[in-house]
Amino acid sequence: MSNSLIWWGIIIYTVASLFIAYLSRSGKEVSMSGYFLGNRKMNGFVSALSYSATTYSAFMMVGLAGLTYRGGVGALGFEIIYFAGVTLVAFFGPRFWLAGNKYGYVTPSEMLGDRYDNKLVAVLIAISTCIFLIPYSAVQLAGVGYLVEGMTNGGISFTTGVIIATVLAIVFSFIAGIRSVMWTDSLQALMMIVASTVVVLLIIQGLGGFSGFFGSLEANYPDSLTVPGNGYWSFATFLSMTVPWLFFSLSNPQVSQRMFMPSSLKSLRGMLLGFLGFGLVYTLVSVLWGFSAVIMFPGLENPDVATPSLLSSEFVPPVLGIIVMVAIIAAAISTIDSILLTLASLFARDVYGNMKPNVSESRQLAIGKFVMPIIAIMAFAFAELQLDLIAVLSVASSAGLTVTVPAIIGTFFWKRGTATGVITSVAVSGLLVLMLELFTLKPYGLGSGVWGLLVSTLLFVGVSLLTKPPVEKAEEFVTYINTEMKKSLKSSKNAKRETVNKGY
Amino acid sequence: MGKREVFWGVVSCIVILLAYIIPYTFLTNVANWYGSFLLWVGVAFVIIIINLIITKDWRS
Repeated sequence: MSNSLIWWGIIIYTVASLFIAYLSRSGKEVSMSGYFLGNRKMNGFVSALSYSATTYSAFMMVGLAGLTYRGGVGALGFEIIYFAGVTLVAFFGPRFWLAGNKYGYVTPSEMLGDRYDNKLVAVLIAISTCIFLIPYSAVQLAGVGYLVEGMTNGGISFTTGVIIATVLAIVFSFIAGIRSVMWTDSLQALMMIVASTVVVLLIIQGLGGFSGFFGSLEANYPDSLTVPGNGYWSFATFLSMTVPWLFFSLSNPQVSQRMFMPSSLKSLRGMLLGFLGFGLVYTLVSVLWGFSAVIMFPGLENPDVATPSLLSSEFVPPVLGIIVMVAIIAAAISTIDSILLTLASLFARDVYGNMKPNVSESRQLAIGKFVMPIIAIMAFAFAELQLDLIAVLSVASSAGLTVTVPAIIGTFFWKRGTATGVITSVAVSGLLVLMLELFTLKPYGLGSGVWGLLVSTLLFVGVSLLTKPPVEKAEEFVTYINTEMKKSLKSSKNAKRETVNKGY
Repeated sequence: MGKREVFWGVVSCIVILLAYIIPYTFLTNVANWYGSFLLWVGVAFVIIIINLIITKDWRS
């Protein structure tokens, strides 16, 4: 594929995104919730597209296709377990949303700090999130690097791809905070879903239609249609990789923060259902790409080049290949800019805001904007290390965030939980995950995410039972949420009854 | 948590557990599109339906 075509694709995408980002501005934002949460007024459709774009990144189209190429259908199961885990939003979404509206939380860690009545909780979770999410952003940047290098046979280098993604992520975050991020995300998600679906249909058509496609897999690569298949997806591996992703919608603040943003419960519903619809299509497309590469390019050394190889293949018209490639670059950027914003808000609100008493909103915002490029450059440095398989590294990062899950569940459902319980569980199990990853240890064949979650649950419960809970705050918080949950669902039912009675 | 939420919470957990168990037991030798591939796609649709039901009363 010619380099000039690719450059033109990137330029057109950049100009269109900058234009949309510029349009998305709504006056000068001086508050934290204005800049980082869109004033809690985001509608369902944009929220759904942006949630999809933030979650599904370069990892999806490059890493998941690579994972399918390497181990077969287990990759679909892995992604579907994550997908099923998003059901957590149906239970926690309204609770986050109610709490955010009532107490004015900007970040999930701020909520935990307040609920457990201890600032150190917010500081610790914010710092541990940064430690784990910066490598995760690096994974996305590396995705762009692999992609452009693979598509151009080295014509555009890995480093050039990574630099483009880093710069655009910083720019999109800066223009209007979450508003520009969400609108550019939406452009990317729409472009991606249409173009990638067309590509997969063309390839399957080229490989003999649905029956020819699966017939070829069944005849020549039967292992690819079962688990453990060729051995890659042993049950221990499957469990280790899926557990952190099952809780992704709670543990990763760049998505859990989204539960504060919708304008109403109806918008929250739109975000959840819209995401599930998009997610299923994305998942199927990525897995089918991986299968196509198994048929067309057996014997690739690095599974992460499965996607670039497909896009350069004879079945995909060059212009469509370019559109998808640009959409994948955009996907990485849409994930990184959301993470940048979230990390900046965590640092400004939870670390800086708690360290220095009586800091104004505008000062916090200025600090947030200042740290964004610094975080981006750190992610860039990680990406330059060019670590091997994208998906595995990505899972390792999310494993580290999984340790906050017991504390998040306890926020709403266990009044007996204590700040000491949260601090001990997050700090000790976070370190445990780091150690296991550092020394590549897998006790009993299980990965760091499983051990991290197990140990953090035990510590959270055990230490909480031995220490004094914040009785007053817990009672007030949990009672408020429970009462409002009942009230909002009851009023919905009443509204429906009235509608029926009026004969609408 | 209301009774309705608990019920759908349990149903979701069962569906997720089945998504782990069935491919590694009954389908390990079914090397066809209607094996694990179809099962996991089916799970995705069931999950969408569950979410539709849980959130059906969410209004503005």
